[in-house]
Amino acid sequence: MRHDRLVLILLRRELVAGLRAMRRRDLAWIGLGGGALLAYAIADIVLALHAAAPKLRDAQLLWTLGLPLTLAVLGALTGNAVSGLCLERAFAPFLKALPLAPGQRRHMAGRATLAIFVPLGVLVGVSAGFACAVIGKPLPGGWGLGAAIPFALGFGTAALWRLRRPRLLLDEVASETAPVGWPWLRRLDRARPRWLSSWAWRLPGGHLRPSWKMAAACLPLAVAAILGAWASLAGRTAGPAAVAGLAGGILVFMLSLRCQPLGSPVLRTAPIGFTRVWLRLVQLPLQLSLAFFLLPAGAALAAEPSAWAVPVAGGLWLLVLNGAYAVFGAYFLNAPFVAMMSFASALAYASYETLEYGRTVLLGLAALVFFLWHRARQRYRNG
Amino acid sequence: MDEVLAVSGLSAGYRGRAVVRGIDLSLRRGDIVGLLGANGSGKSTLIRAITGQIPLIGGSVTVGGVDLAAAPQRAKASFGLAIEPHELPAPLSGRQYIQLVASIRRCAPHDLPSGDLPGGDLLERLELGRWIDRPIAEYSLGTRAKLAILAALLGRPPLLIFDETLNGLDPVAAWEVKRVITALCASGRHAAVVSTHVVEAVPALCSRAVLMAEGSLSRSWDAAQLAEAHRVPGAFEESVMQALRTRAAA
Repeated sequence: MRHDRLVLILLRRELVAGLRAMRRRDLAWIGLGGGALLAYAIADIVLALHAAAPKLRDAQLLWTLGLPLTLAVLGALTGNAVSGLCLERAFAPFLKALPLAPGQRRHMAGRATLAIFVPLGVLVGVSAGFACAVIGKPLPGGWGLGAAIPFALGFGTAALWRLRRPRLLLDEVASETAPVGWPWLRRLDRARPRWLSSWAWRLPGGHLRPSWKMAAACLPLAVAAILGAWASLAGRTAGPAAVAGLAGGILVFMLSLRCQPLGSPVLRTAPIGFTRVWLRLVQLPLQLSLAFFLLPAGAALAAEPSAWAVPVAGGLWLLVLNGAYAVFGAYFLNAPFVAMMSFASALAYASYETLEYGRTVLLGLAALVFFLWHRARQRYRNG
Repeated sequence: MDEVLAVSGLSAGYRGRAVVRGIDLSLRRGDIVGLLGANGSGKSTLIRAITGQIPLIGGSVTVGGVDLAAAPQRAKASFGLAIEPHELPAPLSGRQYIQLVASIRRCAPHDLPSGDLPGGDLLERLELGRWIDRPIAEYSLGTRAKLAILAALLGRPPLLIFDETLNGLDPVAAWEVKRVITALCASGRHAAVVSTHVVEAVPALCSRAVLMAEGSLSRSWDAAQLAEAHRVPGAFEESVMQALRTRAAA
């Protein structure tokens, strides 16, 4: 078929256009800085693997269950994201006029998904094989192949499921125009500037449309909150509920923060500053995050009233982390997924290095947050 | 103060490269300046620089007596920009968008300069009434342009800026918008910059016109020259084409 490679061509051109739109200085920073950081991370991981080699070699549960399950979940998430990306291009509005049946579009998207999977699968296999070689596990090549299989299974299952249901994508597009659902956000979205959250969340007329996606996001969070509260109450200790509240609270905030209005000339040419718009965009996600936090925090307090400092500290940390993520969200304003991944990576990396070098590493994270804040503010003011 | 916009020695562009340079422009209340030029001549870049969307490489922009670089928010309160139709927030309804802009400008959603216009309600004059409660995503290009114009008038800013807004309008709406701009500026409370490719509309609408070519102002027409050109059908277009040809040959 003539259009078989169309989705891949579109993705490649978007990537090239994105790179060309960046300043050479920024590209050099990303290339050199990212490269150096990656090299350091690989060296650090190799050293850590070496140190833990005897323990890792004999961890039966890790090799038989932990690793395959993790890779399968990682594969499923990647497959879902990649196939969604390809489907969006195959069903792009500007391709509507082309004489392509939905089946052909799915085929194009499937081909592109497969083409993207190949290097990812190889990367997972080679990384696993390399890690096995480092710790001296016999047959590293076999383990690499073994690691690629659950990743491929997860990737394939999620991608196939998504590619067979392009209706989900079309429904999402339709929901941007059809004002159906619960109008409750209309009442919550009246602070100045009005309707900013409806715009950020792309809710037509402030109507929240119940969907499977929303249910799928809410269910694990609710289960985690209940389990955390139950564990605390049963064990009469504040820890589990406070941790569940903190982790769930930041997750709720990350899932609900959307900052794309910060890039719009509607706001940039209006007499309103960056900080005010940013605070307004943060307002509703912060309320949701704190509302989630209250249940486990209340359970933590009820389970161990004398340890009141634990949920209070949890609440303060939640505010700090939400504030830091809000800066990442404003910087990666059109790519919330990239913002989440970057924030999670920065946080994980800072936590890991903090164990080794002490709390001074956190200053680096704070500096990064301030730098991103400064750049996001500059972009709002100067484009 | 009569002067609502003062642009002096302006240079602006992208990634440190100047796309427009050496621009001097001044608008007083009552002025309507037509901004003409071929695609890529720098009209939109100039408007982006005047509205604070890109940084200035050199020169200054003063809106309503306030320096745009020194006090951007105060300066931005003095102009209303009809943004490009595709940049409107698609999920919101027209009414919600008007309420959003009104809340940013700290004015009521009905604070429109209808009093300066003969014939009353702007919403009805622009035939937006039946669309106003529907999501913007469902609007045609012309309806979006009308909404952008309506939002630009909110809070009665002294300077109105229309960046190729007339291009997407149907003949009736375009005629109505031109009447609105003329009436508002004739009231002596507003001035307007109209960037357009509709060259034939300029003599009837504008009190001055400037032609941009290769990032600078290459020719201007004053009110008398425009009035003269307006008397002879096609004379102004001929004059503009002549200027463009001369520039291309140089």
